[in-house]
Amino acid sequence: MEFTLLWAALLAVGALWMMLRLERRLGLLPDDRSDWFDTLLGAAVSGLVAGRIAAMLLTGTNPLTHPADIILIRGGVDTGFASIGALVFLVWATRRSLPAALDLVSPAVLAGLAGWHGGCVFRGTCLGTRSEFPWAFAEPGSALTRHPTEIYSAFLFVAAAFGALFLLRRITRPGVVAAGALATAGTIRLVTEPIRPSLGSGPIWWYTTGILAGIVLTAAAFLRQTPNRRPET
Amino acid sequence: MRRFAATMLGTILTVTACVTTSAPLEVPALPPIDDAALSSLLESGDPIVLNVWASWCIPCRSEAPLLSAAYEAFGDRVSFIGVDIEDTQEDARQFISEHGLEFDNYFDRAGTVRANLGGVGVPITYFFAPGGELVYRHNGVIDERTLSLQIDEILNR
Repeated sequence: MEFTLLWAALLAVGALWMMLRLERRLGLLPDDRSDWFDTLLGAAVSGLVAGRIAAMLLTGTNPLTHPADIILIRGGVDTGFASIGALVFLVWATRRSLPAALDLVSPAVLAGLAGWHGGCVFRGTCLGTRSEFPWAFAEPGSALTRHPTEIYSAFLFVAAAFGALFLLRRITRPGVVAAGALATAGTIRLVTEPIRPSLGSGPIWWYTTGILAGIVLTAAAFLRQTPNRRPET
Repeated sequence: MRRFAATMLGTILTVTACVTTSAPLEVPALPPIDDAALSSLLESGDPIVLNVWASWCIPCRSEAPLLSAAYEAFGDRVSFIGVDIEDTQEDARQFISEHGLEFDNYFDRAGTVRANLGGVGVPITYFFAPGGELVYRHNGVIDERTLSLQIDEILNR
C-alpha cells in the first residue's frame, strides 16, 4: 500500500489551515463564520470526486459499472472539472455572499495549492523536463538533470498566496481578490506546464480559460457598483 | 446539504447514462511467457515499459487508459509489454478488449515474471533502458507524471 498521495494531500490541507489561521489573526476572516476550514475541505472533496469522475468518463470507464474506481485518485483527475466541482460546492456553501467569500478564502486556496505541489517530495514527482541549470536535479542513478518543476510551482503559489493576502487587506471591492487569484493560479500552471512531464500538451485550455475568466471577472468586479466587502478602515 | 448531494448525484447519473463505449477488440489468446522469452524481449535493444496486471485488479483497470495513451504517444520509440498474471485467458482477453490495449500482452498464470523481476502485488510497472537494465520499478497505480518522466529516462540512457 502506498500513502505518498495522502502525505501530499495532508501537506496541502496543512498549508490551507495555516493560511486560514493567519487570516483570522490578521482580522480578515469574520468571526461569525467558524467553518471556513470545513467549507474548503468540502470544496476540495467535491472537486476531487467531480474531477475523478470526469477523468473516468473521458477515458471510457463508466463510474456506474465500476464505482470502486472513483476512489483511485492516482488513476487521474481532470483539472478543469475538478475546479468546477469545487466552485459549485463553494457557490452552494456560501450562497448570498459568494464574491466576498471567495475573496476571503483565496489566500488559503493558493496556499493549499502550494502545499499540494510541494507534496511532490513525498510522491517523488518533483522533477520535470531536462535542464542544465545549476539547481537542476537528477533522478537517483541517473545523469540526466531536470527542472524541479513542482518546487517552482510551490514557490510561485506561496508568493501568490501572500500576494492575495496583501490585496485582501487593501482592496475592499468584492470579487477582485478571488478573480485575481484565479488568473494567477491559471498563469502559474500555464507557465510551468511546458517543463512538466506529460503524455501530451497538458490541460492548457483549462488554464487559459482560467486566466481569461480571472481577468474578465477582475474588471467586472472593479466596474460593478457594489458595496465594499467591509467598511474602509 | 441533502439537496446539494441529490443534485450532484442526479447530474452524475445522467452523464454516466449517456456514456458510450467503443467497439470491443477481437483479442486472440495471450501467448505464455517464461524466463527465456522475457530475457529475449529485454535484450531486444529497445527501451521497454513492462506492466504487470490482472483482470481482477481494480487499480489495474484504473491505470489501463493511461498506459493506452502512453502507447499512442510513445509506442513508436518504446516497446510496451503487458504481462497478465494469476488470471484466466478469458478474463484477460475481456480486459484487453474492454480497455482497447493495443500493445503486446502475455499470459503468466503463475506470476513468474513478477517473481523474477521483483515486486509485490499488482499493478507493477518496470522501466528498462535499451539493453535490459532495470531503471525504475513502480509498485501500484502509476500516474501520468511518473510514467512520462520514466519514459523520458529510458529514452535518453
